[in-house]
Amino acid sequence: MDAYKLMKELRVNYEQEAHYRPKETGLRLIESTTEGDSRISAKGRNAKVEDLWSLTSFFGYSTQTFVLAVNLLDRFLAMIKVQPKHLSCVSVSCLHMAAKVTEEECDLSPADELIRIGQCRFTTSDLCRMEKIVGEKLGFKSNAVTALTFLHLYHQIALSHSTDRKESLSLEKLEAQLKACLCRISFSKAKPSVLALSLLRQEMEAVQSEDMLEIAYHIQRHLKITDGELLLWSERVAPCLSDYASPECSKPNHRKLQWIVSRRTAQNLHSYRTVPELPTIPEGCWDESESEDLCEDVMSSGEESLSSSLGSDAEGPFFPLHLRRQKHLHA
Amino acid sequence: PNNKINNKQINLTFNFCTILISLSLSLSLSLSLSISLSVSLSLSVSLSLSLSLSLSLSLSLSISLSVSLSLSLSLSLSLSLSLCLSLSLSLSLSVSLSLSLSVSVSVSLSLSLSLSLSLSLSLSLSLSLSLSVCVCFVHPDVPAPEQPELFLKKLQQCCTVFDFMDTLSDLKMKEYKRSTLNELVDYVTVSRGYLTEQAYPEVVKMVSHNIFRTLPPSDSNEFDPEEDEPTLEASWPHLQLVYEFFIRFLESQEFQPSIAKKYIDQKFVLQLLELFDSEDPRERDYLKTVLHRIYGKFLGLRAFIRKQINNIFLRFVYETEHFNGVAELLEILGSIINGFALPLKAEHKQFLVKVLIPLHTVRSLSLFHAQLAYCIVQFLEKDPTLTEPVIRGLLKFWPKTCSQKEVMFLGELEEILDVIEPTQFVKIQEPLFKQISRCVSSPHFQVAERALYYWNNEYIMSLIEENSSVILPIMFASLYRISKEHWNPAIVALVYNVLKAFMEMNSTLFDELTATYKSDRQREKKKEKEREELWKKLEDLELKRGLRSDGIIPT
Repeated sequence: MDAYKLMKELRVNYEQEAHYRPKETGLRLIESTTEGDSRISAKGRNAKVEDLWSLTSFFGYSTQTFVLAVNLLDRFLAMIKVQPKHLSCVSVSCLHMAAKVTEEECDLSPADELIRIGQCRFTTSDLCRMEKIVGEKLGFKSNAVTALTFLHLYHQIALSHSTDRKESLSLEKLEAQLKACLCRISFSKAKPSVLALSLLRQEMEAVQSEDMLEIAYHIQRHLKITDGELLLWSERVAPCLSDYASPECSKPNHRKLQWIVSRRTAQNLHSYRTVPELPTIPEGCWDESESEDLCEDVMSSGEESLSSSLGSDAEGPFFPLHLRRQKHLHA
Repeated sequence: PNNKINNKQINLTFNFCTILISLSLSLSLSLSLSISLSVSLSLSVSLSLSLSLSLSLSLSLSISLSVSLSLSLSLSLSLSLSLCLSLSLSLSLSVSLSLSLSVSVSVSLSLSLSLSLSLSLSLSLSLSLSLSVCVCFVHPDVPAPEQPELFLKKLQQCCTVFDFMDTLSDLKMKEYKRSTLNELVDYVTVSRGYLTEQAYPEVVKMVSHNIFRTLPPSDSNEFDPEEDEPTLEASWPHLQLVYEFFIRFLESQEFQPSIAKKYIDQKFVLQLLELFDSEDPRERDYLKTVLHRIYGKFLGLRAFIRKQINNIFLRFVYETEHFNGVAELLEILGSIINGFALPLKAEHKQFLVKVLIPLHTVRSLSLFHAQLAYCIVQFLEKDPTLTEPVIRGLLKFWPKTCSQKEVMFLGELEEILDVIEPTQFVKIQEPLFKQISRCVSSPHFQVAERALYYWNNEYIMSLIEENSSVILPIMFASLYRISKEHWNPAIVALVYNVLKAFMEMNSTLFDELTATYKSDRQREKKKEKEREELWKKLEDLELKRGLRSDGIIPT
């Protein structure tokens, strides 16, 4: 696709993106909710989105499915008050809907598999109903314009402008970074185009390519994105990305996963942890005598004190001599 | 005249010409519940002039069987004050010829068990005193100074061994021996000051005679220790008591190893060890206790015992693969290993590497695996630097065809990982997780399940987290593949748990690996497609060629 067409498409998408953005007031409400309320909190939403990502990755769905699912979820949550216990159902139904749209028929996993793997508490019929509700409320059409759309477009534009630098901007990496950002609800408030552009810029700065940055500036001017807005979101994106890229591991425990094992395995799991019946026999420091007559001299006093420490075992007039002989034997 | 109250007695007495002139003043309060069956034939010609003042308070419970033949000519003058609290079981056979002139003032408080063959000079009184029955807790009939002698005699008697294969022979003698052995056991348990120097050789001789024997060959070659019932020892009624006796003898407070070691020597121990091959698990259990006590008390025999056990194991592993007592010996070794002094001697480390680890290769591992695993873990708790050789050894002997063994190995490995030090973990993590990754993708669902369950172990998880950059690339490919391909849905669910854990541990690396995996798969698919197209082209070419009119295939 030549540059002109790409730019035109960019423009078209830019105009449409407003339709697909979640309500900001709704998002703010979620962010301000504290834990333990009857409403969904930011932490709850973020945790659910991470779960969605696990499921996406597990079933081999594309990033597009994931981004679309998150978009649906955010739009729904911003619009309708959902109880925390229903959040799981809502998120999985968003994922299923997104998968139906994006993935090929053969790659689609059935709903019950989704529920089983995700260790969800609801049934398939619940899922179907929820899907219908979400579809109605959002007036769901096949595709939404998301940050990923823009990311793809930007990437193509960048490619078309600099053909010899194909390897430097990795689309996978950008997608992964976008995924990391989407796991935090604050980024859903951003305009998809701006978010994608800030990600692009960050990557270009990391690669330290002046040409690339010019292309980015070009795009910015084309879409008439203000500097202030871009700067705002760039500043927020940067720490998120550095967290993501850090080698430090976060402890995975916000939800205990169920480990179901078969009966036979469960029976044998802790069979080794039996307490031994026989009392411990402590080793003396010198009971390794090769010849019995050595023992005879010194043993008489040591008989009764079998459980005592090393010192008392070696009582008797021959102690130093015995040790010397012992050392010689073992030398 | 009978002043007894509440006395139930079946008494058949024939008294002939009993002339009794008795003047008795008796105040007897006897509460006796006696169930006595006495058949007495008494021909008594009694001229009794009894002046009795008896104050008896007896509480007796008697079960007596007396057969008495009394010919009494009694002239009795009795003054008895008896207070007897007795519970006796008397079997008395009294043949009494009484010519009694008795003046008895008896105040008896007796507690005795009498198994008496008594020749009694009985006082026949018209006023019969309650039959006293007494329970004896101490050997009553034999006075204390004579007891050691009796002990030796009984020991010697028990040296005779009876043939239990013939169930009907010598029943009485067998019973006698059994009761004697019982007596010996009780004697050894409660007595004080009974162990003389002469006793030791007799004890050892008696025990040796009874237990050292050639073990019968196993009934069938195909004896599967897990499936079949073991052949139990026929002479167990005697054997058990002999073992019981020997153990109490060894544990007795008066036992002196310095004297005993002359008789419990290397030859004794060697024969004892051979007995561990017995098929009877009860016997092996007793032997285990016996050997454990001997190891504890005889310091001079310890090295010898360890060496012999080594030999047994090595023979078992490399020559015969048949020995029934491996589990018991390992239990003893467990308690020995637990008591090792630090730093560990080289001999013990050798033992670990050359004997304990090869023991894992045996086919019948399931019989003693729990004890073996315990020994290994004890070793590692004593000296963590042994972790690397142990795990490398296990990986070397990892079962390739026996899945049941594989599950056992995985269990043992988890036990080891539970106590491993982080520095040691880093040394062996690569080969270890390569093996785990193979186990996880095993088509045998139990193996896969057991391996995946490691991720439920908190300590192992913390170790994996610290080293996720090394471990994740090793595990990723197989985990991802089986999430798509494994036949067992439960396994797929567990794999999700593991992948999720990895995802949260190190997202960057995980995403990188996912991307690489996907691109690899794409490349593979592409290659396959190209290959297919090539074949198709070749086919078309061949078809075209074949369609030439003259049918000749051009070269």
